[in-house]
Amino acid sequence: MTVSAPISSDSTADSHAATDLDAIPEPFDYNPSSWSQRIPICVIAMVGFLIATYMGLFQWKLIDSAWDPVFGGQTEAVLTSDVSHWMHKWFLIPDATFGAIAYLGDAIFGLAGSTRRWQYRPWLVVIFGIDVIPLGIVSAVLVAMQGLVVGSWCFLCLVTAVISLVLVVMAYDEVWACLKYLKRVWDETHDRKLLWDVFWGRRTAEGEAIGARFATPATT
Amino acid sequence: MWSRVIEIMLGCWLVISPFIFAHPDTELTWWISDMLCGTAVILFGLLSYWRPARRAHLATIGVAVWLIAYAYLRSSEATGAAIQNAAIQNNMALGLLLMMFAIIPNDASKPPEPWRVPTGDTTRSGSSPQEPDDLPQSGTDRQLAASHH
Repeated sequence: MTVSAPISSDSTADSHAATDLDAIPEPFDYNPSSWSQRIPICVIAMVGFLIATYMGLFQWKLIDSAWDPVFGGQTEAVLTSDVSHWMHKWFLIPDATFGAIAYLGDAIFGLAGSTRRWQYRPWLVVIFGIDVIPLGIVSAVLVAMQGLVVGSWCFLCLVTAVISLVLVVMAYDEVWACLKYLKRVWDETHDRKLLWDVFWGRRTAEGEAIGARFATPATT
Repeated sequence: MWSRVIEIMLGCWLVISPFIFAHPDTELTWWISDMLCGTAVILFGLLSYWRPARRAHLATIGVAVWLIAYAYLRSSEATGAAIQNAAIQNNMALGLLLMMFAIIPNDASKPPEPWRVPTGDTTRSGSSPQEPDDLPQSGTDRQLAASHH
């Protein structure tokens, strides 16, 4: 989008930053909401989705065996263990299918939003963060525990656990910038209503001004 | 609008689910629930393309909550093998999927409408009149856009 002349001359830099979708938020020297940051997250999440779907198909008994080049039959032991049956009862769907939906969510929430969504749609970045970070860590811990509790190891489960942790590392920067911006709004105003509006991405004069100071214009 | 397209496809899946999973004729509530929910999802998805109702997709969240709640309701009254019931699993999976897609805004790759005009620009000089999406989101502008399209 081209930027037309700002109304007040002293806010030239501010208004430019406010409309510059590639602006760089604190504390980084790159834009964590840029496509080059987000697309790889979506691609890796989709790999997790495909692997989890494959295991879900086995748990749904739509395929007869589960591939495992390292632990042999142990994968099928894990995927049909008591633990997985309990989780099936809680989730109503196989745990691998539940995981597949969570990875798909990582990709969906990673794709949605502009390259300045850390300011324009904080709610979306927060949902994305919840899906990737706490859910990812819990699922990785659960996979490790499944190996210890069930006594069998599942190669593809371990692959998805690694994917979860890689996604956490790749996604934290955007969530961090977004939360830092929200905290800045709160610290500068202590205005609950404003924080609420900013969280939902509504355009307010105060939020816009704070966002403009929070970001530096893109260098390229 | 990619999210609306996927919702509509999932709605079609829900409508044909009773046939795919061969709900028995005695399970009339499953038939009604699946087909009504599917129809509602398709309707909300299509309505979202109509500018005055562009947030209709948010109503799909309600359908998703119902699908999940109904899945738990039906699974609690049944035991053992009934947990495997395809209809329950279908409702649960579709509920989770629809919940995720339904919260994605229209034109998600663009900034939200109020942010699409530069600072202090209240005149819409920068946006082309053919694209109602570029209009700012103030009340009068929304009415203007609605009356023009």
